[in-house]
Amino acid sequence: MLSIKNLKASIEDGTQILKGINLEVKPGEVHAIMGPNGSGKSTLSKVIAGHPAYTVNDGSVTLDGKDLLSMEICDRANSGLFISTQYPTEIPGVNNVEFLQMALNSKRAYQGLEPLADADFKKLCEEKMAMLEMDDRYRDRGVNDGFSGGEKKRNEILQMAILDPKVSFLDETDSGLDIDALRIVAHGINQIMSPEKAVILVTHYQRLLDYIKPTYVHVLRHGKIILSGGPELALKLEEQGYDWIEEN
Amino acid sequence: MDAITRIKQLGMPRRNNELWTFFPVNKIPNILSADGNCRIADECSSSEDFANEDDFAALLPIVCNARELVKTIDDGENEMAMLKCNNDFGRTVLNVGKNAKASFEILDNKVMHEICAERFDINVAEGAELEIFFANPANDLPLTFRHFDIKQAAHSTVHFANVLQDAGIGRISARVELNGEGANFDYRSLNILKGTASKHQRLTILHNAPETVSTQFVRNILDENAYASYDGHVVVGNSCSKVNSSQLVNTILLSDGPSVSVKPVLKIYHDDVECTHGNTVGELDKDQMFYLTSRGIPSDKARAMLTKAFAKELFLELPEGPAKKRLMQVI
Repeated sequence: MLSIKNLKASIEDGTQILKGINLEVKPGEVHAIMGPNGSGKSTLSKVIAGHPAYTVNDGSVTLDGKDLLSMEICDRANSGLFISTQYPTEIPGVNNVEFLQMALNSKRAYQGLEPLADADFKKLCEEKMAMLEMDDRYRDRGVNDGFSGGEKKRNEILQMAILDPKVSFLDETDSGLDIDALRIVAHGINQIMSPEKAVILVTHYQRLLDYIKPTYVHVLRHGKIILSGGPELALKLEEQGYDWIEEN
Repeated sequence: MDAITRIKQLGMPRRNNELWTFFPVNKIPNILSADGNCRIADECSSSEDFANEDDFAALLPIVCNARELVKTIDDGENEMAMLKCNNDFGRTVLNVGKNAKASFEILDNKVMHEICAERFDINVAEGAELEIFFANPANDLPLTFRHFDIKQAAHSTVHFANVLQDAGIGRISARVELNGEGANFDYRSLNILKGTASKHQRLTILHNAPETVSTQFVRNILDENAYASYDGHVVVGNSCSKVNSSQLVNTILLSDGPSVSVKPVLKIYHDDVECTHGNTVGELDKDQMFYLTSRGIPSDKARAMLTKAFAKELFLELPEGPAKKRLMQVI
């Protein structure tokens, strides 16, 4: 499904942030990426999505065999990649629901499908909003405009639910969520997840992984994955931090 | 002094005249000579005194014997209408009575001569509310002038809004007198320009009474070789406390070719006032572009969505009514 090989990327001043990432994600798997601040976790998702602030220096990223790095940003998304950034961007004046409809129909156009009829889109939207316990206020507002941190994260998962991607890269989706919101968002992610899809979670805390069981846990540090393991690794990190890894 | 004598005194506009700083004055045909189809009239049909009129564009319709329309809305009446002069030169006198409520859309002339000039004299009585607006989507007049002389009494409100997106050269000028306590003037202008379009706005707002409010909010979306300028003067009199005046011009440049000039001038003769001005020039927000495209929306559509959002925001605070409905529709 998603294959990342020796991925190296830098920012404008030449500083290399990713120094050779290798990651294989198969259908049905949930990968958790943990690591100290500044280790390159957020950069990884942005580089895969094609953020213009980063230059890929080496390596490859493929999704179902297709070279993502040679694609336009929108084509990467329409091929099945979804990223949720740590701080979702606010776009005042672009209606949230109109944006969602435009995004979904862009994906359908890429797949050679007709746009979804307005009534069908409305029904889909209502169904997904109900799953995430979102009220009608989300409809009339601009994209993330004036949303609280928790509302933004919930809105990200709504987009994920509607766009139905193959691989979702969720960067600190649990930050800014209270206990109830965390449960609702985690439930939403579990509902969206299926044996044909995969999720990569970036998180600092075990609490999200109490709700979404990871298949693998990876530690990213200094732009490289330095350790991988099962769910027990997250528990150990929560208990002991990251220093012991270097010590070993 | 009649208008003909005064315009001859002023002479043709020059760049060193601060009213015409940014305007391509060399594009104005010399109406003071005998040549051309818009030359000055032999006799002035108006008996008004124009000795204090400094703006060439304000005199232009008068000296070219503009067809005159007088419209009066009686006290307490409500009226909604369209204004169109159907000639190269037009003059409209609009009197809005006490506590009246009026909405007027100014329609473009379809006349395609080398120059078109209109003048609007608007008197807004105490407690009256007026909205005046226009949008010229496709009528590529080569050279247009619209001058507004607005006088507002106490507790009156004027919402003045426009969208300019034609390809010609144009100038909107206004002289607004806020003569009564609590008078409120709100100006919103959107310029969506490309090609060699060149649009210029010159406003003078005189706060002649306490607790008067003025807002100038302009947004430009410029592409290719378009040029827009905004020259906004605010004068607060020495007996005018608690005045609130704001001026904001935001410009998005969609390519390397277009340019914008902005000149705020604030003359404040009282300490207890709040007057602000601001100006931003930039490109479309890169993070917003990334966000939209990362959801699968092609970049051309994402640009269109962001541009539309930038434009719409300008008119969100207009009261619900014909102006807001029409201008939002145009966008």
